[in-house]
Amino acid sequence: MTDAPRAPRVVFAGLASCFGCQINITNIEEHLLAVLGQIDLAYWQLTSSAPMPDEFDVAVVEGAVTTEEAARTVRRLRERARTVIAIGACAATGGIPGMAAGDIAGHAAAVYGESTPAACGSLRAPAPVSAVIDVDFTVPCCPVDPFDFVRVLDAALYGSNRLAATSALCGECSRNEGGCLYARGQMCLGLVTRAGCGARCPALGRACNGCAGLSPDANVGAARAFAASRGHVPERFDEALQMFNAVALAAAGKE
Amino acid sequence: MASTSITVEHMARVEGHGDIRLVIEGGQVTTCEMAVVEPARLFESMVRRRSYEEVPYIASRVCGICSSSHVVTDLRAIEAVFGVEVSDRTEALRELLVYGSFLQNHATHLFVFAAPDFLGHKSVFPLADVNPELLQKALGLKALGNELCTLVGGRSIHPITAVVGGFTHEIEPAEYLRLADAMDRARPFALECVDLFRDFDTLDVQTEGDLLAMVAPGAYPVCTSDTARFVRAGYDFAVDAVEEEIEEYPQHSSAAFLARARRTGRPYLTAALARVNASWDALCKDARYAAAKAGLRPPEYNPFANNIAQAVELVDVLDRCAALCRRLAADDFAGPSAPVPFTVCAGRGVGFTEAPRGALFHILDLDGEGRVERASILTPTAQNIANLEADMAQLAEKMVDADYDEAMIRLEIEKLVRAYDPCLSCSVH
Repeated sequence: MTDAPRAPRVVFAGLASCFGCQINITNIEEHLLAVLGQIDLAYWQLTSSAPMPDEFDVAVVEGAVTTEEAARTVRRLRERARTVIAIGACAATGGIPGMAAGDIAGHAAAVYGESTPAACGSLRAPAPVSAVIDVDFTVPCCPVDPFDFVRVLDAALYGSNRLAATSALCGECSRNEGGCLYARGQMCLGLVTRAGCGARCPALGRACNGCAGLSPDANVGAARAFAASRGHVPERFDEALQMFNAVALAAAGKE
Repeated sequence: MASTSITVEHMARVEGHGDIRLVIEGGQVTTCEMAVVEPARLFESMVRRRSYEEVPYIASRVCGICSSSHVVTDLRAIEAVFGVEVSDRTEALRELLVYGSFLQNHATHLFVFAAPDFLGHKSVFPLADVNPELLQKALGLKALGNELCTLVGGRSIHPITAVVGGFTHEIEPAEYLRLADAMDRARPFALECVDLFRDFDTLDVQTEGDLLAMVAPGAYPVCTSDTARFVRAGYDFAVDAVEEEIEEYPQHSSAAFLARARRTGRPYLTAALARVNASWDALCKDARYAAAKAGLRPPEYNPFANNIAQAVELVDVLDRCAALCRRLAADDFAGPSAPVPFTVCAGRGVGFTEAPRGALFHILDLDGEGRVERASILTPTAQNIANLEADMAQLAEKMVDADYDEAMIRLEIEKLVRAYDPCLSCSVH
């Protein structure tokens, strides 16, 4: 046994989030134990009271960076981990917390009044993890698909030549042959959202809300014009995109 | 031990981030805090100016475990504004969605969060070696909750199909029947859970606060009533008056707002334990017998009994879900579940459900375009914190009097916090 290679040591860290991605990973019950058999899950505050070790190989980060304390946490993780994996929309794009990025002080004042409790930490504009440190792998979507996470963890541990999808969701959605939501009078963000989720929402009759982030191939202007041609107010298209992509849109606006 | 201080930073096996701060001086508890150290999440502000269509989708992200409850609560608030009457079939599907999160939550809380304390482990994982069958069955129960949410809501968390007026998608009758059979098969284990948690030793704490739960005549309601009851003070109120009945107040050590009943000034507990106390007569027979056998009968004010109450609800929920699934398969509810038409208008609406962890309220003011002017959310955990702190102080004082050592006090306080099943990330919203 002493000659066997040490199992890779993995830690989980949760920043501002609903914990849903971590929960969703525990939702692959029967597979979870198989995955856990291959790694040394050294720190997972959600499930264990064992403290975080000083050394580890892989850090899995959920949540957006919304405080200076969280920024320090991810920098410390980056210093110690060989590989950093950002999971979920909050960590990948800023996600829902990113909606407050334009005016964090104003939003805080709206909820807490003049003085925000010290327990909230030192607030900063919500940002994806990659805005603070280099991230090696990203598992997109809100919430993550747990099998996506397993594939990415596999790639982080053992290597993989599988590349993340870059195209927009429409192609993936049309292969489901469920018909286009625009034909039913609904506005859908699949036009500009990164593919890879299997277009689960449109398949169930609900428009894509962009939780996987913008596709690098996205042409937002053309998509907005298309939505307008189908009778949707262009401002509504931009507003809908804000839900998960406010940080990226603000950055694009500054360029 | 006359003086000591106990600090637990980032308490493990709870959802979210919280610190325990307990100071005992001369045998007296002088500081007792459950500090919620969650970064501000600002949902109540972020949903302002957003359209009613997006609001449930956003509010869902308050919590990864009770996302179904946040969605259904928001839908009820919006429908109250627009005057939407949904079909009986839609009501039944919403109940299934909420019950799915009960199964997920209770199985996770009881086995992943709470049980390791009683079994002397740091996490649930050692159970894979010492009692793999128990772990498999516990995970199986959680998986059944996931499957229920996935089939009804489109995925195991953050449901897709539930919208204002109804559902965008429904499964085939055969799938409802398969689910019903799976519920039946899970019942013996749920009954075992009640016995298992009955056998765990707990100390005697009697909460001095009140208990709050949704009530309806002859029912054990979770998302079909607009009446709440303070069980100990013995009065009901209509949810429209929630802000006149419940006061939210800030506390510097906490990123969450705390709550107390305005009429009595008392803190209160809202959880499975409050529901069992409030709606005991309407529990299904097996659940009621199992509870009674485990020594849980109203009035029961020991917060540690919330663990048993959750196990009892597992039995009850499986029974109800099996019946709902069979009736859905037999087309026994007036339908359809497809969204009913409605007209957008301005107004105020209060949504109320029993989330797995207790009463959940969403208060929405919408303008004439259906955009949010003001939103207020009261989550179960935020409502529970003041009462939890009072119970922690009571427990600590009892243990100091009985000369328990610091490590024991720390463990028992952690057990008490976990018995409340707090969702600290939820409490900051």
